Amino acid sequence: MEIHVDDMAGVAVAIVPVAELDASNSVEFKRDIAPVLQAQSRVVLDLSQLRFVDSSGLGAMLSCLRQLSGKGGDLKLCSMSRQVRALFELVRMHRIFDIYGTKEEAVQAFQRQFV
Amino acid sequence: MSLVCANLVNPGGDAAALERSILCHAQYSLGRAWEELSARDRFAAVALAVRDRLLDVHFETERRYRQRDPKRLYYVSIEFLIGRSLASNLYSLGIRESCRQALSNLGVDLDLIEQGEPDAALGNGGLGRLAACFLDSLATLGMPGFGYGINYEYGLFRQEIDAGYQREKPDNWLARNSPWQIQRPDEACVVPVYGHVEHGVDRRGAYNPMWMDWKVLIGTPFDMLIPGYGGKTVNFLRLYSARSSNDFDMGIFNDGDYVKAVEQKIASETISKVLYPSESAASGQELRLVQEYFLVACTVRDIVRRFEQTHSSYCDFPFKVAIQMNDTHPALMVAELMRTLVDEKDLDWDQAWDITRETLAYTNHTLLPEALEKWPVPLMEHVLPRHLQIIYEINHRFLAEVRARQAAEQGADEGQIRRMSLIEESTPKQVRMANLAIVGSHSINGVSSIHTRLLTTLLVPDFYRLWPKRFNNKTNGVTQRRWLLAANPALAALICSAIGDGWIVDLPQIQAIERCASNTGFQQRFAQVKLANKERLAQIIRDVSHVRCDPASLFDIHAKRIHIYKRQLLKVLHIVHEYLSLIEDGRLPAQPRTFVFAGKAAPGYWLAKQIIKLIHNVGRVINSDTRARDWMKVAFVPDYRVSLAEKLIPAADLSEQISTAGTEASGTGNIKFALNGALTMGTLDGANIEIRQQVGAENIFTFGHTADEVRSLLRSRSYRPRDYYERDYRVKRVADAFRSNLFSPAEPDLFAWIYRLLLDENDDYLHLADLPAYLDAQEKAARVFQDTPAWTRMAILNVARTGHFSSDRTVCEYARDIWRIGPVL
Repeated sequence: MEIHVDDMAGVAVAIVPVAELDASNSVEFKRDIAPVLQAQSRVVLDLSQLRFVDSSGLGAMLSCLRQLSGKGGDLKLCSMSRQVRALFELVRMHRIFDIYGTKEEAVQAFQRQFV
Repeated sequence: MSLVCANLVNPGGDAAALERSILCHAQYSLGRAWEELSARDRFAAVALAVRDRLLDVHFETERRYRQRDPKRLYYVSIEFLIGRSLASNLYSLGIRESCRQALSNLGVDLDLIEQGEPDAALGNGGLGRLAACFLDSLATLGMPGFGYGINYEYGLFRQEIDAGYQREKPDNWLARNSPWQIQRPDEACVVPVYGHVEHGVDRRGAYNPMWMDWKVLIGTPFDMLIPGYGGKTVNFLRLYSARSSNDFDMGIFNDGDYVKAVEQKIASETISKVLYPSESAASGQELRLVQEYFLVACTVRDIVRRFEQTHSSYCDFPFKVAIQMNDTHPALMVAELMRTLVDEKDLDWDQAWDITRETLAYTNHTLLPEALEKWPVPLMEHVLPRHLQIIYEINHRFLAEVRARQAAEQGADEGQIRRMSLIEESTPKQVRMANLAIVGSHSINGVSSIHTRLLTTLLVPDFYRLWPKRFNNKTNGVTQRRWLLAANPALAALICSAIGDGWIVDLPQIQAIERCASNTGFQQRFAQVKLANKERLAQIIRDVSHVRCDPASLFDIHAKRIHIYKRQLLKVLHIVHEYLSLIEDGRLPAQPRTFVFAGKAAPGYWLAKQIIKLIHNVGRVINSDTRARDWMKVAFVPDYRVSLAEKLIPAADLSEQISTAGTEASGTGNIKFALNGALTMGTLDGANIEIRQQVGAENIFTFGHTADEVRSLLRSRSYRPRDYYERDYRVKRVADAFRSNLFSPAEPDLFAWIYRLLLDENDDYLHLADLPAYLDAQEKAARVFQDTPAWTRMAILNVARTGHFSSDRTVCEYARDIWRIGPVL
């Protein structure tokens, strides 16, 4: 999948470009986000297009977080729909990720974090 | 203006408006002219026209609820035995006669349309029917109470009889969609299941168990509108179908694995595919556990969503939400509500626990220890890993509380700890769902006085000692709107002509017909109504059972699920006694009788299915014996269901309620029969005891060992069936008949098991111990029946004195003592 990445004040903001992130495309997502994770340590995933995520999709995002944490970086999520937020809460993933309403808020949080 | 517009602007309840609506739905909803519709589609057109009117009142009801923001009751039940809805909806809205006129204008008889409606058989028996009666009462009382259940594609199986044996056929009642249901796809919810818990820490370093690798179920709600009588309140019953989303499957589909996509879709939808027959729902069946969880998860999501629309603090939750668990099938509610509050809403454990307990209440429905649900821990861990973790934590804290109490009072008692634990230390370990429901509820109730007494003293005495104030009794009731007004319109009209129609919404008012009980004219009209109902049933028996019976004979009816404890076998023993007395002794019965049976046996319950075969074989021998022809007939009416009960019950003279004392929690059939003027032949069990208190011991036939006597016999192992066999020649002769192949000449020894069962000291249901008293009580009933005025007077008094047993009264008691809700009018 084609993942569009913006640089916002030194933070990589990647848009997850699918409505469903599940068993059918989570491997592809992990493969295509890998270069971003290798190149950057501060990454925001923009989930505004996402409507559904299953456990494979959540697992893929968790893997991103662990990769970045492993090298001293961090992953933040933003622009979650109500349904996707509900799924995160359902399985307690909302306590693992830093979640923000907008990408600007997420980027600002990085800036505060690394000042 | 088009028909649609006219219909939308002013649905109206008059005949002309209804006629327009019906034609409109024929044309624009079903796509055909009225004349071209099949009988089934004509029913659908009428139902849709009625549904329009229900929706109007429903919107008004919801507006009222939104304005007043009352506490709401959610009645959660794995079964809702609705039956047919058209007639009761028309009665509730007060438009039945208008509808009759409208259909008459269209050349169709309303009765035929009503008879064409398939039963919504989403239940096995009493538990599910009780839930349906409660919804009727809640709406009639104007209370904000809603049902939550599963939208089974296949209801309870259709029963056919082949050579005397039950054959089960699928009942695909939703094959053509129900016109009563409104799909709400926008309120579908996602339910995770399976997977494992990963123990980690959150961003603050606190322990954070994460549920990983779960699969997804989608719960799509379908609402059925439930009108109260008088048409002022329309609540709903929300039934969930498990669906896979096509969208979600498309990814797999696009990858080229079409078969896998379809398989996943089918697997997801299997969850709501079929209602489990009662005896087949034993623990260990993974699909059933997933079903129960699916119901609970969808219900909690919906309740929380509704609560959050108007409230922000979960402190308010127990003041705005009451949840009643109908038996243990929804007991996972305890773990699911805790999971929601702790995991999703970030409440601390103690606060979440207080809210959960203040919100939940549990109704127990069984005294049979083997019927108490348990789930193997390995299965629970496989299906619901996070819930099992929560159950362990609840148990840990609960047992610490019990140990602290023991230390402060009587000292350590590990036996009590083992009995009360939510986990049974067997191999494999089992989760005890009744214990979970009790620990997680602020109220635990039984469903009749004797049941509640036995619940607290025998079934869960440790819990009662710990929390005596949480236990209470709520004797079951039935809705008189369905079981008298709609099922027996001629009797309802007679009662209305004598005392008015106040009893329809206030059943105790029916007591006023007592003053007519000795009035000859009233008695004659009452007897005429009964005779007409018996003639109608005789016709049904002739058509479906091919047995000709005399409507003037005593109609002696045993209609309920076939189960050893309900003792259809005891009824057969009585029949065999009457028959042998006639052919061997030349002793004519005091009274010609038609013995009528109806009921389904669970497909895997061999003994119950053998009893059906026995009834047919006994019937074949007796019905074909010319010596017995004028005195006895035996009929089994297949496919017992709500709509058949509505024909059987009004036609009964004698109602057989003969379970072994201490086994039937309440029964509601007993109430329905009494309400329709049948005299009860009953043991001192369940609600029979309270019926006797209400109607007077002189107006009911009771017999047999009491629950305490039964228990004493079984505990002391002093039951000696052979004593009864040797002592009473009637008992001996009847038992011996099953060794002689009298009723199975072509299949020797087919019923030899009955002889063995009757003489087995381990017959926990004490057939022979109660047989002599039963035969005596039957003789007495037959003698009384011959005195028509005396019998009719007793029957009228039964009707007059069943005012206590309305589900309106039961629901008011729940509302006052447990739910703390009131009318919102």
